[in-house]
Amino acid sequence: MTATGFFTDTSVCIGCKACEVACKQWNQLPADGNFFSGRSYDNTIHLEATTWRHVAFVERSLQLSGQITARPFSWLLMSDVCKHCERAGCLEACPTGAIVRTEFESVYVQPDVCNGCGYCVVCCPFGVINRREDDGRAWKCTLCYDRQKAGGEPACAKACPTDSITFGKLDELREIARKRLELLHSRGVHEAYLYGMTDDDQPGTEGLHAFFLLLDRPEAYNLPPKPTVPTKGVGASWGTMGVAAAGMVAAAVAAVRFVEGGKK
Amino acid sequence: MSQALTSGLKIGREMDPDLAMLTGEGAQQRVKQAEPDAGSIVPLWRQVSSRPAESPPDYYRLPLLKEPVWIWSVPAYFYLGGVAGGCAVLAAALPGKRRFDALASWCRLLACAGVTVGPALLTWDLGKMTRFLNMLRVFRPSSPMSVGSWSLAGTGMLATLSLLLGKKAPSSVRYGTAFGGVMVAGYTGVLLGNTANPLWLEKRRLLPPLFIASAIASTAGALELRPLNQHEEKVVQRFGMVGKVGEAAAMVAMERRTPTNKEAVYGVEKGRGGLLWNAAKVALVAGVVLDLIPAKSTARRKASGVLTTLGAICLRYALLETGKDAAREPQAVIGPQRRRMQGGG
Ligand code: SF4
Ligand code: SF4
Repeated sequence: MTATGFFTDTSVCIGCKACEVACKQWNQLPADGNFFSGRSYDNTIHLEATTWRHVAFVERSLQLSGQITARPFSWLLMSDVCKHCERAGCLEACPTGAIVRTEFESVYVQPDVCNGCGYCVVCCPFGVINRREDDGRAWKCTLCYDRQKAGGEPACAKACPTDSITFGKLDELREIARKRLELLHSRGVHEAYLYGMTDDDQPGTEGLHAFFLLLDRPEAYNLPPKPTVPTKGVGASWGTMGVAAAGMVAAAVAAVRFVEGGKK
Repeated sequence: MSQALTSGLKIGREMDPDLAMLTGEGAQQRVKQAEPDAGSIVPLWRQVSSRPAESPPDYYRLPLLKEPVWIWSVPAYFYLGGVAGGCAVLAAALPGKRRFDALASWCRLLACAGVTVGPALLTWDLGKMTRFLNMLRVFRPSSPMSVGSWSLAGTGMLATLSLLLGKKAPSSVRYGTAFGGVMVAGYTGVLLGNTANPLWLEKRRLLPPLFIASAIASTAGALELRPLNQHEEKVVQRFGMVGKVGEAAAMVAMERRTPTNKEAVYGVEKGRGGLLWNAAKVALVAGVVLDLIPAKSTARRKASGVLTTLGAICLRYALLETGKDAAREPQAVIGPQRRRMQGGG
């Protein structure tokens, strides 16, 4: 099967949260409780074990290029989701093999295998996956594996009224994204850029299967500017552990020998 | 007309043209943030106080990463695993002389207890407690947690075997247990370092030596609480001293404020994690000082053992708590990554 994914074009997002709602409905995710964040229109705050799409509202007194308002003011909107990384920190860390790569090359947590050790939670460089309090297992976006299996598209992409979320084959998505970027640049939106589309854009994860067109620095949307899958540098830790382990053995042998020698 | 208005309606903030002063109920307003006093000359380049300094962008200061979900039983397991590892190594290194028999059997007992109670504590933290065996469903070298689970299972068997066989255990079992013990004591450091957590990631080369050194110290600390004969005491103290000095050195190295992630360290200094970290330092140093007093006394030895144990336990909780603090600070993730980008890395 060919790889599928999401291209999320934030320049057309209107912040209607249809994707959030569609995702919750289809995947039967519980509500996050009635609380008022007081932060713009964003009441889900972040991706969670029970929130697999999250719309960020970046509300600032700043002017964007080409914008005409009486006062400097702008809104950036972005529907965030699990990135289904080409090299996924969660997958490489999972000790039970619960996290697998599907035939659509998305990253999927098998709920019947996950034992809730929580190691994936600290190994995701995007802060996506989390353990649910009530059932003790790790959950995140499945890229609607069930719908894809039946030949459909994910619920969020289906519900998005502006096509800010586009679902499709990865190669085609990249083509669409490049064209869109060119168009925006030709219209003078020079800030626009593609986040994490390919290995070149984001070597730390070797590219994302859910990538974004952004209009400001990643950190303005709570995305890391240069994420890296932790496993890429684990050799250094094993190396120093080896040296320290040798030291431990030497210390034990020396402690015993020394006493022995002194006694004779 | 306007005269009547200004004198009749004293709302808001108005200028009385006759007295040249502000009147009205708004006239008493104070500025919330006063301009910093710069003497008589206000330099032009000073920032206007009503506009906050441009801070590096993030999303409403909300955390970028998820906090570790682990509960109290995980650091407790880290401690027990360390003791088990140190004991397994010491048991293998002890010569089979009669005067070391008691110490060797203590070592075997503690090693076995550590690697059996430890996994029980780990299982306690699992969201799904019934599923510990899933850990042994696959072997995944890219996951220190998987490597650790296998080491734990293997060492558990070997340590039980050497406890049962006692002195008669063949050297293959003894050395096997020792090897497994080293893995159990050290992999936890690799496990923390192999995460996206800004603090642990930053210290990924230091964490394994810290865990191993602290495992040696904890082993000695635990054994110092037991009745020991003169020879055993010497062995334990020498072994322990290496660990304590190593632990102190690793802690100092951890503290060195590497400029690559000052944000993570800043968050850490204030929280509960910082408190635990300092407690660990104090207990460790106090234990070493007691060790260095030349007088021979069992009470002194035991006090030192208690302090060392306390220090080792505090250290592990400090690592978890500071890790949580660091995960909550978005700039701890963004800052270093930005700087790496600017450095062209
Ligand atoms: S974004 Fe995080 S949870 Fe999603 S695939 Fe990547 S590492 Fe896994
Ligand atoms: S919590 Fe579940 S999915 Fe995550 S690493 Fe552990 S077993 Fe794997």
